[in-house]
Amino acid sequence: MRTKGLLLVLSVFALSTTTAAYAVASTPQRIISLSPSATEDLFAIGAGKQVVAVDSLSNYPKSAPHSKLDAFSPNVEAIAKYKPDLVILQSSATKASAVKAALEKLGIKVFFEVTPSDLNGAYAEITSLGSATGKKTQAAALVIRMKSAIANAITAGKRTSPTPIFHEVDNTLYSATSKTFIGHVYSDFNTTNIADAADTADSYGYPQLTNEYILKANPSVIFVSDGESIAQISSRAGWGSVDAVSKKQIIILPDDIPSRWGPRLVDFYQFVSRTLAAIK
Amino acid sequence: MRAIPPIWNWRITTICAALLLVVGLAAISFGPITIGFGQIVRTLLGISGGLKGQDRTVLLDLRLPRALLAALVGAALATSGAVYQSVFRNPLADPYLLGAASGAGLGATIAITNAHGNVYSLLPIFSFIGGTLAVLTSFFISGKFFAEPQSLLLSGIAVGSFATAIQTYLQQRHSSSLRPVYSWILGELTVANWQIVTWSSIYILISLGILISVSKQLDGLMLSDEESFSLGINPNRLRMIAVAAATLATATAVSASGLIGFVGIVVPHLVRGITHRVTNRNLLTIALAGAAFLVLADLGARTLLSPAELPIGVITAFVGAPFFLVVLRRRRTVSS
Repeated sequence: MRTKGLLLVLSVFALSTTTAAYAVASTPQRIISLSPSATEDLFAIGAGKQVVAVDSLSNYPKSAPHSKLDAFSPNVEAIAKYKPDLVILQSSATKASAVKAALEKLGIKVFFEVTPSDLNGAYAEITSLGSATGKKTQAAALVIRMKSAIANAITAGKRTSPTPIFHEVDNTLYSATSKTFIGHVYSDFNTTNIADAADTADSYGYPQLTNEYILKANPSVIFVSDGESIAQISSRAGWGSVDAVSKKQIIILPDDIPSRWGPRLVDFYQFVSRTLAAIK
Repeated sequence: MRAIPPIWNWRITTICAALLLVVGLAAISFGPITIGFGQIVRTLLGISGGLKGQDRTVLLDLRLPRALLAALVGAALATSGAVYQSVFRNPLADPYLLGAASGAGLGATIAITNAHGNVYSLLPIFSFIGGTLAVLTSFFISGKFFAEPQSLLLSGIAVGSFATAIQTYLQQRHSSSLRPVYSWILGELTVANWQIVTWSSIYILISLGILISVSKQLDGLMLSDEESFSLGINPNRLRMIAVAAATLATATAVSASGLIGFVGIVVPHLVRGITHRVTNRNLLTIALAGAAFLVLADLGARTLLSPAELPIGVITAFVGAPFFLVVLRRRRTVSS
């Protein structure tokens, strides 16, 4: 559980940076994606057939050519073995700039993915991937579809009464503020994020809260993404008095979707929308 | 009566050099991409029929610098470890003893948490400065180094804990840096390039040259200070030179590859166990053995779980520890 929690923190953290610039000329036919979000983007814009391998964490869509390639510590030679003409590399990977330089030395183009910090960043990435893979029109269409579906989800679930929420990143009570990508999703629904008041300059949007702080803030919904069960959270000392616990409004988030900034963002917005529409 | 063996066992030195050559060739021969051994040799010797295109880049720009860096780092850590053990008359001394590791760790963490943009270009400089500063601070605080090396050892431990405390604090405050800091602490030789190999080879080879050239005098430190004086050795100055050179080598190794544990303890004892010689005349052998050990460990690190990588520190400890125990046991039965 702890490892999973840590992985989640890391993957969520990877999102707090800004979008990159890239220049890719001819249409690539042998793409390697070392980013689960980019993999989903590529398949959604119809560039799936050009993908020869995806990293070990890219588990969606099922038809993607899964491989053991590691996205966090990329192995240049193992990547080169696939003879790719374009590699999507996360800027948060270990020694990303050195890996990029080594791949370029081998004559392989690199799309440097700097993880988006909000929806516009996610749309921008889809658009750039579209230009990089010769799927410009499909990418533009996808962005339009996503925008309208997300707008509908927000309308359906938007809160009118004050709704304090707590997003639990791991069981040591790290949380995510409205400045983060996932925090943006909650604030789009007009909720109040209890982590916002605890944010400090050096927590980068992911402050660690304390038990007492959470009890005092009294969230009416708790979103859980660290594998803790509803029973485990309800039985924490003192938490029985928290609204979310007494009203049974602890929501276990689906795996992966909240940390994929691609087409399935729509699914995530719809999930949060349904959840918030149902609460008291 | 057994004849007294010569003080320097050239045969084992030659064997270590040959071993280094063999594991070095193995290291550049194996990888995800299959490259014929004949072509590798041709490319290295520069004769016709060598590799071209991507395979050539893979060999010359990916595999070769990495193997060379592993050899340099292994030699630096093993030799520094052996020297620290002599200077402090402590078989448990390792190259990280005087705070070099913790200081370098702090420097690396500062680089990772504060760098905007290209972290890894600054990281070696920061960790080098951190490691060197920590050792200098240890010297400065202990003050009594010349009178008693043990107090330097203790202040090294204190400085080390202090640096680790700050490093842990920084790391907790910047959770986004957890993964890069962690992988640096476990040691890594991934994406070694010629630039790193070039600058680290300058410092490491100079340091090793100094250490090997004073190795004969270092044996004098095994006696009491009065006795070494009578042999014409100035023990304080010698310790100073030896520790400075060993620290330079260690700081360079650490900044190039992170904290690779156990090499500095296991290799010197291994060589002493095999050669039955405790003198520093073994330093060259220890350097060669350390280089071969780390090149082999790195080959394991990048092939065992390929295409994923194992942290090299895991391999050095996992393989080194049991091997070390066997040698220790054998040595005990020999001496009893």
